[in-house]
Amino acid sequence: MKKLIEIAQKAIDQGKKTRIAVAVAEDANTIGALCRATAEGFVYPILLGSQSRIEALLKQHNLASGSYRIVDLPDQDAATREAVRMVRSGEADVLMKGLVGTDKFLREVLNKERGLLPPKAVMSYTCALELPKYHKLLLISDTAVLPAPDLEQKIAMLNYSVKMAQKLGINKPKVALISATEKVSPGMSNTIDYALISKMVERGQIKGCVVDGPLDVFLACDPASIEIKGVNTPIGGDADILIFPNLETANAFYKGLMLFAEGELAGLIQGTIKPVVVMSRSESENSKYYCIALSCLMAEES
Amino acid sequence: MQIRKLDQMFEVLKSRTKKRLVAAWAIDAHTIEAVAQAAKMGIIEAILVGDESIIKTVCLEHGIDPTMFRIVHIDNDLAAAAKAVELINSGEGDFLMKGLLSTDRYMRAILNKEKGLMDPGAILSHVTVAEPQTYHKLLIFGDVAIIPLPDLNQKIAITNYLIRVAKFLGIDNPKVGLQAASEQTLPKIPSCADAAIIAKMAERGQIKGAMIEGPLGMDLIIDKESALIKGMKSEVCGDADCILFPNIESGNAFYKTVVKLLKSDLCAIVMGARVPCVLTSRGDSERSKLYSIALAAMLA
Repeated sequence: MKKLIEIAQKAIDQGKKTRIAVAVAEDANTIGALCRATAEGFVYPILLGSQSRIEALLKQHNLASGSYRIVDLPDQDAATREAVRMVRSGEADVLMKGLVGTDKFLREVLNKERGLLPPKAVMSYTCALELPKYHKLLLISDTAVLPAPDLEQKIAMLNYSVKMAQKLGINKPKVALISATEKVSPGMSNTIDYALISKMVERGQIKGCVVDGPLDVFLACDPASIEIKGVNTPIGGDADILIFPNLETANAFYKGLMLFAEGELAGLIQGTIKPVVVMSRSESENSKYYCIALSCLMAEES
Repeated sequence: MQIRKLDQMFEVLKSRTKKRLVAAWAIDAHTIEAVAQAAKMGIIEAILVGDESIIKTVCLEHGIDPTMFRIVHIDNDLAAAAKAVELINSGEGDFLMKGLLSTDRYMRAILNKEKGLMDPGAILSHVTVAEPQTYHKLLIFGDVAIIPLPDLNQKIAITNYLIRVAKFLGIDNPKVGLQAASEQTLPKIPSCADAAIIAKMAERGQIKGAMIEGPLGMDLIIDKESALIKGMKSEVCGDADCILFPNIESGNAFYKTVVKLLKSDLCAIVMGARVPCVLTSRGDSERSKLYSIALAAMLA
């Protein structure tokens, strides 16, 4: 895939309506994106929040009655809690954040008794980036949740990203473990983690992907750099997935590309029992639409 | 030429300029006889540092002509070790050998900060070369004697020493197996984790001149059939020239098994000092002492 819109097409092709519980579905972009997906037939939104505010937002979209549901819970906490409960109980397939603070929203997701994270599971965020200058979608992790992933968390990030790539139709994705250099240096603990992960993949302890690291972004995504540097890597400058050593690096990478290189993204949280869509309230309708489409693919049991 | 049997070192050395051995506190029959034999074979020249009258008496008792050596008279072991090291540093000798003094005192002379044989930051380690009859080639391994629990950097240094010894024995691009508890990369087991890191460093060209694979169990390192059964495709498996052991216990147990159970010939050397150092013990066979002298001469 080269464009995010292809994800939406794939979601449509699934021929199935994914039930998305939206906590505090009271902002125009969220409603707009959901209505588009609903009209295209791949989403059944369950809108939790103030019925009157939701109905006011729905007015400009001509959604068929019966193609959505509203649950009138004007209190934000109550709406969020109920949305989480619906996903947990199987009444919905995806959880999505609307006009509620991320902190408040995630606290419910992470709640030990009634949340969505299985014991000891690692929660992590993976994005699919559309970049005019790259020949395919590029998945990156973790841009939002894990500040300084340890070895186990890096392995979880890798597995989630591989799963996403497979949902996007890449059977054996190429994963580059990103550092500042391709050298293994005991002074840089991330490169040590990467050496271990590479060897684990070689030994079949992690399956379904080709992995190499440490690599820098050039070696991961640019065949010319590989030739110049003479590094022998199975990624071949053709990475599908970049695993970053920490949140700052991943976050700066994608924001830089959005700002300077006309990048677009869709992302979501994995590790939870069902996908969780968390976007900033200021995010565009288009972005939210892509995230919704991606979540519909990820919600399907493989 | 590639050395496939330890004996072959003698032929090679005979065709080269003789290296000069300096034996520290060489006043016992074990040391003097081994050195005399090597000198007689024409593979080395020798300087014995020790009490001249004792040396001459021992020579007389064992039918050795003392004029075949240069004797440097020093009347106690500590001073003799210091003098031997001094002779190396002044360029009068090419490699060192331990005589009757304790290993501890011998090493102290080598490690002495001002007058010893160490460059700053150098890591001293022990390398063994064995010729097990049941294996199709020589096995070069370490560290079975000096570093009890090598950390990652020390393991890298040892690996480089193994490679270097292999090169001097004419083995081009030696295959190095990194021994560990399992071939799985188990991050919590240091032998497995360090081996994975070293293997990756080799892949990145940070350790050169060898084919390196690990973590590997001992069976996978020396037995092709085990590798086949376990589906390990590495060329190192079952055909290793060198083995890095994760700690002294595993290395030492292997060493002693090779000597005592397999009755294999072997020799050993201390690497990391400015010159190779021979560190035989009195329990070593005559043959093994001679081989160790030859190995040091090969590397000097």
